[in-house]
Amino acid sequence: MSVFLHDYRPYDGVTTSLWRRPLVLARYGMAEAWGSKITTILFIAALLPCVVELVMIYLADNPVARMLVLRGSPVLVINESFFVNVLETQCWFALVLAAWIAPRLVSFDLGDNALPILLSHPISRFGYVLGKFIALAWSLSYVTWMPVLVLLVYQCYASPEPWAMAHLGLAFGIVVGSLLWIVVLALIGLAVSSWVKWRVIATGAMFAVVFVPAGVGGITDAILRTHWGLLLNVPVVMTEIWRRLLGAPPLMSPQLELPNTAMAVVLLLAGLACIAVLNARIRAREVVRG
Amino acid sequence: MGVIALDRLEVRLGGRTVLNGLTGELRGRAIGLLGPNGAGKSTLINTLLGFHEPSAGGAKVLGLDVRTDRMRIRESVGYMPENDSFIGNMNGVRFVRYMAELAGLPPAAALERAHEALFYVGLGEVRYRKIRTYSLGMKQLIKLAQALAHGPKLLILDEPTNGLDPMARQRMVQLIKEVRKEGSMHMLISSHLLRDIDETCDEVLILNKGRIAAISNIEEERRSHRNFIEMEMTGSTEAFAEKMRALGCECASFAGGRVKVVMPDALSARDLYVTAAETGVEIRRIQQRRDSLEDIFLRAMEYEGGRVEHVSLPA
Repeated sequence: MSVFLHDYRPYDGVTTSLWRRPLVLARYGMAEAWGSKITTILFIAALLPCVVELVMIYLADNPVARMLVLRGSPVLVINESFFVNVLETQCWFALVLAAWIAPRLVSFDLGDNALPILLSHPISRFGYVLGKFIALAWSLSYVTWMPVLVLLVYQCYASPEPWAMAHLGLAFGIVVGSLLWIVVLALIGLAVSSWVKWRVIATGAMFAVVFVPAGVGGITDAILRTHWGLLLNVPVVMTEIWRRLLGAPPLMSPQLELPNTAMAVVLLLAGLACIAVLNARIRAREVVRG
Repeated sequence: MGVIALDRLEVRLGGRTVLNGLTGELRGRAIGLLGPNGAGKSTLINTLLGFHEPSAGGAKVLGLDVRTDRMRIRESVGYMPENDSFIGNMNGVRFVRYMAELAGLPPAAALERAHEALFYVGLGEVRYRKIRTYSLGMKQLIKLAQALAHGPKLLILDEPTNGLDPMARQRMVQLIKEVRKEGSMHMLISSHLLRDIDETCDEVLILNKGRIAAISNIEEERRSHRNFIEMEMTGSTEAFAEKMRALGCECASFAGGRVKVVMPDALSARDLYVTAAETGVEIRRIQQRRDSLEDIFLRAMEYEGGRVEHVSLPA
């Protein structure tokens, strides 16, 4: 095969190892996700709060600036609660970004019936999902743990007191809390996108999957006079998890407190449901029963 | 080693037995997969690619088991599916490069081969256009390009001429012939069009209702029928037949003055006329049999027993 000869020649060069094939999907997925201007706009919007928070840390740690701008007010304190708020803000931006990116990763393939051709190559269905998962998770990392860790590092550097050693656990909480949310979002995003082939509807469906159960949980609480409906409220569950991981005061009163095991089970079940959907939808060929 | 070996292969899908006890070995350079709609052609291809798990029996592709060596089979195979299957918002080069990288080529080699494959199939001028803007013929060609880009050992083409106009069909058939002539890969071509298979393949597997109706070597059939002649005559056909046998022909006469002759290579049609003149018979019609595949197919379709039959034409 040659561009100018127009003939066929067999390929006798090297080939990459099998484990790198999902990374090919991830690379093309990233290019697909970030090829959209809207993704760039969302990314910039997601980083704007970080700029504000960076200024807040500067003000809190610089006595002269605090004197001039805040007139010495002790309102601005950089502690666990501050970083929980930062993480929460970033994680909700991650939801918006995931709702935009996930359908671009999967719906195009399904809409154009590309799965038979993709899966006829040496990549398994698991490898396909893993590749897309990596692309989505990496994209979400840009707006979650990465910028928050940068803020933490800056705080450690700028704090005049021996702040860093006493708050090293925050780094662990930020990374684990973010990764947990990223995994949940990526699984929900991929599952919804594989179920709904139309991108716009898939984007809307993702918000619905996160917020509709919260409403159902609220109704359950009101009718049954219980607080277990909160387990269906993903925002509340995640906020509570982030608070516990970062060592911040709990969100709810002690009588409404949700046990760690219950929250872990809810997230696990949600993950398993997403995997079941992906298993049903990501196939080279659909089998018609009957 | 056969290209494809089937060993009592059975595939059940959605509670139905779609492939039923297929057994046989295919060794041809270009293997045709023929059968009416619903015969199980696409299911067989999907099973060979590992999309469907055999419910009983097994199959081997290039000596690799479809159950245990799925990834290695896919590394060695280029697949052109029947229906539209691409990523519409990618341009041609990017799509073919993507598929080549998935097949295992390093990025630089994949890019180079993508350009070459697109020029080879005739899409060089439109390779930077988004695939969704391609015509139906172009979409077929880009599926072929991505199947060729990584240099497979076996090229599987599922209904490659589906929906093509006569010009595009001719172009596709020509490309398939060129790839076959190049000789570095085997081909499995599924089609319900006899003409496509006849023009491109040297061996054919005919499926009917999920069973093998026939496996036949078209090349051998063609060779054996090259000198097969049917005639209608008036006069004593027995004397004519005797004389032809004496010249080394296989000859049979039937009622109504019909005579069938298989001539050795040394004889020509002129010898028929000479013999006819010598024996006092008149040749009213003479026809050289050419379309052996159609005969094979029709006989296979009429056959209801379902066991494997190596079909050959009656001499």
